[in-house]
Amino acid sequence: MVSQVAESLLLEDETWERVDKATGGAAAPCFQCGVCTAICPWALVKEETVSIRKMVRQAQLGLPGWSDDLWLCTTCLSCESRCPHEVDITKVILGLRQLAWKERQVPHGLPSLMWDVYRDGNPWARPPSERTAWAKGLDLKDFAPSQDILFYVGCTGSYDPRIQKVARALVGVLGAANVDFGVLGEREPCCGDPARESGNWAYAQKIINDNVALFREIGVGTLVTVSPHCYDMFKNYHTGVGEAFRPLHYSQYLAELVAEEKLKFENELPLTVTFHDPCYLARHNDETEAPRQVLSAIPGLSQVEMPRSGIDTLCCGGGGGRMWQETLPGERFSDLRVQEAAETDADILVTACPHCISCLEDSLAGADTRMRVMDLAEVAAAALGLVPAPPARQPAGATP
Amino acid sequence: MNDIQPYEAADASGLWVFLEQDQGELVGVSLELLGKSRELADRLGTSLTGILLGHQVRDLADQAFAAGADQVLLADHPDLAVYNTEPYTRVVSEALAERKPSIFLLGATPDGRDLAGRLAVRVHTGLTADCTGMDVDPQSGLLKGDVVGFGGGIVATILCPDMRPQMATVRPGIFPAPELAPGRKGAVDEIPVRIREEDKRVKVLERVTAAGLDLTKAPCIVAAGRGIRGELSLIEELARLFGGEIGATRVACDEGWLERERQIGQTGVVTRPKLAICCGISGAIHFTVGIEGAETVVAINTDEEAPIFEAADYCIVDDLFAVLPPLIEQLREAANGGQS
Repeated sequence: MVSQVAESLLLEDETWERVDKATGGAAAPCFQCGVCTAICPWALVKEETVSIRKMVRQAQLGLPGWSDDLWLCTTCLSCESRCPHEVDITKVILGLRQLAWKERQVPHGLPSLMWDVYRDGNPWARPPSERTAWAKGLDLKDFAPSQDILFYVGCTGSYDPRIQKVARALVGVLGAANVDFGVLGEREPCCGDPARESGNWAYAQKIINDNVALFREIGVGTLVTVSPHCYDMFKNYHTGVGEAFRPLHYSQYLAELVAEEKLKFENELPLTVTFHDPCYLARHNDETEAPRQVLSAIPGLSQVEMPRSGIDTLCCGGGGGRMWQETLPGERFSDLRVQEAAETDADILVTACPHCISCLEDSLAGADTRMRVMDLAEVAAAALGLVPAPPARQPAGATP
Repeated sequence: MNDIQPYEAADASGLWVFLEQDQGELVGVSLELLGKSRELADRLGTSLTGILLGHQVRDLADQAFAAGADQVLLADHPDLAVYNTEPYTRVVSEALAERKPSIFLLGATPDGRDLAGRLAVRVHTGLTADCTGMDVDPQSGLLKGDVVGFGGGIVATILCPDMRPQMATVRPGIFPAPELAPGRKGAVDEIPVRIREEDKRVKVLERVTAAGLDLTKAPCIVAAGRGIRGELSLIEELARLFGGEIGATRVACDEGWLERERQIGQTGVVTRPKLAICCGISGAIHFTVGIEGAETVVAINTDEEAPIFEAADYCIVDDLFAVLPPLIEQLREAANGGQS
């Protein structure tokens, strides 16, 4: 028995080097305090905590083999927000996933997700020729550098019927503010986020290189995304597009328009809303103000905060490639989030991310509440009278 | 290793079909291919040959003749009893090089796809993989294979103008199975089996079949969503009458109404049935990616705004508990009427 233990602790230099390279040495500063494990939201839904500390330790020592929990990480950054040594824990986890890709030890469904992005340019296995279907009847302009912004719709806004509504609402809001914008239509590429978040950095890098070349060629300056995930990709990983390249999440752009008084809300929208901060705005990009500034500009609208808000937001469960993997009932963060939001007595749970919308609405459908879920763009469009304003209270049991 | 001589169009003639057998039975797609090839061979004015590998499978030649083959090339050997990439490649590539057919078709089954790719490289010709349609040009003798690309967005017609044979794999279920003419005769010609030691690197030790459900093969799927509220009897009866399977959304699995293996969509199974009937399903994209490949989609939902209707060919805005009973009644009557 003793000899077996001794044997199992043998470290191989070659393995260590591979792990260290893939994780970029990110694990080195960790002194194993375990705050990451304690704060990881999986502890809220699982009986056993997910040991982030152990995964980081594994990377430090270069131990072979993959933790079953490696693929649970939603890259929500809760752990990093509390780490006393500022360890780039997500880099460690995505690095370990990168090795798992090399050894073909990835969960069912992820390889076909990569193939979908490769073949169709989107993670929803829909043909590139249908990428513009969301804009049917809108008569949008092709992008030209002279325009104010490039409106980057993203794959989910282009193909998911639910998020198409968000994209269309946003078109209405931009129009109301007289923004001169263009789109890339069928040429619009995937931002590469599904590859990066599921750890396939090599493929993500290829997508990034292609995108950088495209954006340089067509002269992209301010780029406005529907999804915080695309925004994060462009802002933090697409380097070399040019000095004028300025990726923004649409909430930030709308906040700018409000500040410049180009976007004005004149009608009352007498609703109480609570804002769910998407991880990729709040923790990844330190943006908690812009969405609230837009909401504050709407007369009659009052905001209440959930206990976990701003930088302490609770992940919806859709990041880190989890959107394309199954999460068992009873283990979905969004169930907890909907409950938390309903307890504020808000009429509307507002968010600003396609993944959050999907997860929260999915949980809402099974919850006993009168609250509704809306995207910030939809709230803005409703305030402008572009889409019907939601009633303050939905009668109980009206939605099946 | 490769002593196969490539050959070109001028030296080639005849249409061949790979007769895939599994445990001594011809697989369905081989019969479908024979039926379609008979028609193509007649239009080309050429003969139709089946090539059959196996052990003690001579009887299957009669089925091939009944399905339209003029001739069957038989390689009967214990080492060929079960499909094995290298021995099969050896025997078929040698037969191709010796007899020089102009066209060679295989079923796009796991084994057919495996063999076709290797053969195409071995005999140095092109392969149109996974055809969903097929035609010939009698003047040029060229095979025209339709291949779907970009997630169904385009159909490309692919030709192989210079090298021979013109190879293609065809998905099962594309062409109808031919009516068999039991008395039809043809010639069986044994071909040499020269398997080398180096071809025998893989040995089949045991064959294990997992029992279970394969929604990807179901011709009809009756899919149940939140709207069924756990009431399965109508769904079950409808699936039975259509000879299909029951599928489920994530909610229907979460609620424990149906097993997780029946879940359709992004995190479940991607299906391509001829008919999908979606009952009480709102139609989030995570579900609809799993039925995009269905030939016909019927959706029943009380909410006329439900996105499922965007993905459906036939939209019924009504309560499924009102729609299904008369439909089931009609199907039952049709079934009984057919028997009496």
